[in-house]
Amino acid sequence: MSFYVATIQFDWYRRKKADRLYNKNAKILFLGLDNAGKTTLLGVLKDGRLSQNRPTFHPKMPVNISQTYDLGGHETARRLWKDYYTSVDAIVFMVDSSAPQRFEESKRELDALLSSDELSNVPFLILGNKIDIAGTSEEKFRASMGLTQTTGKDKVPLNPGVRPIEVFMCSVVRRFGYGDGFRWLSNYIN
Amino acid sequence: MMNFDQAEDKDGVRFSWNVWPTSRVEATLHAANERHCATHLPVHRRHLSARRRTPSADRLAHHVALAAPRELVRRSDHLWFDGAVLGSPETFNLVSKRFLVPVGECEFNLTSILEEIQKDPCRVSSDKRPQRATGIAFSVAASLLQAVAPNTGARIMAFIGGPATVGLGLVVGEDLKEPIRSHHDIIKYKAKHSSKAYLHYKSIAEQAVSGGHVIDIFSCSLDQVGLYEMREMVKMTGGFMVLADGFFHPMFQQSFQKIFTRDTEHQFNMGYNADIQISTSRYLKVCGAIGHLSSLNVQSPNVSENEIGIGGTSSWKVCGLDQNSTFAFYFEVANQHTNPIAPDQPGLIQFITTYQNSQGKRILRVTTVRRDWSDTANESNDSVSMLANGFDQETSAALMARLAVFKAETEELPDITRWLDKMLIRLVSKYADFRKDDPRSFKLAPNFAIYPHFMFHLRRSNFLQAFNNSPDESSFYRFMLNRENVSNTLIMIQPTLEKYSFNGPPEPVALSATSITSDTILLLDTFFHVLIFHGETIAKWRKEGYDKNPQYQNFKDLLQAPKDDANAILRDRFPYPRYIDCDQHSGEARFLLATIDPNLTHVSNAQQDPTKGEVVFTDDVNLHVFLEHLKKFAVQS
Repeated sequence: MSFYVATIQFDWYRRKKADRLYNKNAKILFLGLDNAGKTTLLGVLKDGRLSQNRPTFHPKMPVNISQTYDLGGHETARRLWKDYYTSVDAIVFMVDSSAPQRFEESKRELDALLSSDELSNVPFLILGNKIDIAGTSEEKFRASMGLTQTTGKDKVPLNPGVRPIEVFMCSVVRRFGYGDGFRWLSNYIN
Repeated sequence: MMNFDQAEDKDGVRFSWNVWPTSRVEATLHAANERHCATHLPVHRRHLSARRRTPSADRLAHHVALAAPRELVRRSDHLWFDGAVLGSPETFNLVSKRFLVPVGECEFNLTSILEEIQKDPCRVSSDKRPQRATGIAFSVAASLLQAVAPNTGARIMAFIGGPATVGLGLVVGEDLKEPIRSHHDIIKYKAKHSSKAYLHYKSIAEQAVSGGHVIDIFSCSLDQVGLYEMREMVKMTGGFMVLADGFFHPMFQQSFQKIFTRDTEHQFNMGYNADIQISTSRYLKVCGAIGHLSSLNVQSPNVSENEIGIGGTSSWKVCGLDQNSTFAFYFEVANQHTNPIAPDQPGLIQFITTYQNSQGKRILRVTTVRRDWSDTANESNDSVSMLANGFDQETSAALMARLAVFKAETEELPDITRWLDKMLIRLVSKYADFRKDDPRSFKLAPNFAIYPHFMFHLRRSNFLQAFNNSPDESSFYRFMLNRENVSNTLIMIQPTLEKYSFNGPPEPVALSATSITSDTILLLDTFFHVLIFHGETIAKWRKEGYDKNPQYQNFKDLLQAPKDDANAILRDRFPYPRYIDCDQHSGEARFLLATIDPNLTHVSNAQQDPTKGEVVFTDDVNLHVFLEHLKKFAVQS
């Protein structure tokens, strides 16, 4: 059982002028069970190339994106996540949607994050990755993860104190889905 | 074909080229390695284990443990050298011999102090890192050793659980809001503490070298601790560097215990305070050395102006040596093309090593090796083929890898990759057999044939790729590459893959996606990771419990065989590798998928056939494409 954290600052948007997160210097944590596809996504965001990576140990950050940390491992590794909570602007939580046997484990970790005081107002983007493999439907995925009530995929003005949270299904390998997710997230990052 | 392994067994020396060209012009024509290179193991296995020792009462090797966690010291206190001297961080404040006593005199007190140590009751605020003055602690430890054991074998062992956050040598501030530097920060000069910290630790390294002292670092943390900044202390002194997840992880505990292995005569396998001097016969000059040593700045006539690695000298200091310590030396031929070398003037290189063994006795070891000059009278193809026959592709790959990693200290990684490519193209266009502009006619002799494969894997390796490696991890991998002998270096560059199946005895297979099949077990050894990979079908049978049914004893045996082989590797390897036992399609299988040649990808192979390999999701270039490009460039007129 492993867990990874990644934070990312939105430097790469400086190169994507059209994007709405352009020039937003946000600190974003990438979280999720091991093998969800975080490092692979970061690799694709970095230079558009898909690569096969080893599991991540030290928190780290791909070159060209100013902060990206993956931490790995067992129970003790979780002490590290907290080190990265300080001044976080958003959380991207990735789930391998082709591994339903791990949904429960994923949900447990997500619930713990959602109930963390330090992250109470932080927007959460949930990415259901690898839909190219198993084709898990969004409906089924939401039900398994306990995410039937989310704040809406459009730019919705939210009452103060309501945390923006939304699910986007994606495939990093086929390069679709996560872009919509990040665009949604940009609405909630100042 | 020459047998290079045999020469290595005999002398502890291997050369990339075993027949030498007689002039600089010829040597320059000599493509990939313009200069001759040698790897040398000064402390030969036999040398350390079979030498008869008499106990000597005089100076013993001193050890100072720096901030060792209590559990660690308690568990291993029986391991301390008889001559070990222990000091606690408090005593470091008082640089005086009065505060250091032999372990024999204080063992009882020490043990009881360790037993009674309580966890630091000061709570660290949730947005802060703990205060660590590691840089100061190193300064004090190095000065203390300098005072009590100048020019005597001694080592500082540092057990580090987190980054230095205060004082000289800090690598990150106390505030968690400030993340520790990444490769990206370093490249962009945005790592605000790194240069300063690096210089601080380097000055400690220089102090240690001047006293003949070793510094070891055991980095035991899930996050970075600043190995990147501290690396020179270990590199320059020939210490041990261990990178583990924590103090309770076997990667630390097993590695630490292994350091204290004793030989049959109950002696530690360590050498201290050594120096290596190189003498050469006429026409040969030494360009430099790459390994865990420091220059002694000895300007003898055989020192070349062309510096490679740590050059400008013919003598180097090595504060710590063991059976694995291997050094790369780079030579050149300094002779005019017009000046023939007579056949009775042999090419000789002498390695003169002196070191102090763990009992304080001084040992001198001299190795003299001779290689032939190529026939200068004959400038036809015969001369080229003589040189070619003497090419040792394994040693060449190891030496080029060291050079590449040495360059990585100052140059950007893409430039190093391009340099490697250029050197490879030059080598093969000189020594391959082909018709101009006809890539299909390209053919390499067997003693060159695998060299491009080594280069392919080296380019993709953790030594030269920063993505998904932290600066600490890169520092560690590069450190290990510069320490090991040729065969271990090759495992690091191109890991070994062994296949276990019902269809015959275990056999080595190509490190490629096509070697992954559902009905076999694979054993991967990357030097840093030892991984057992069960194909899907094997994993299914195991989950169904067939191995527990006496009727399927052969299945049980099949499951056991790779485990036994993995254990044999774990037993011998230092540092203790990460051991992974996994099944196909699991998250941990990515260790294997990231290592293999991706000759089956989601693009190349729409239809997956599990009997013919596993599809890798990557855009990376595979070996075949790499070789095709190489041929194309090599045959260009």
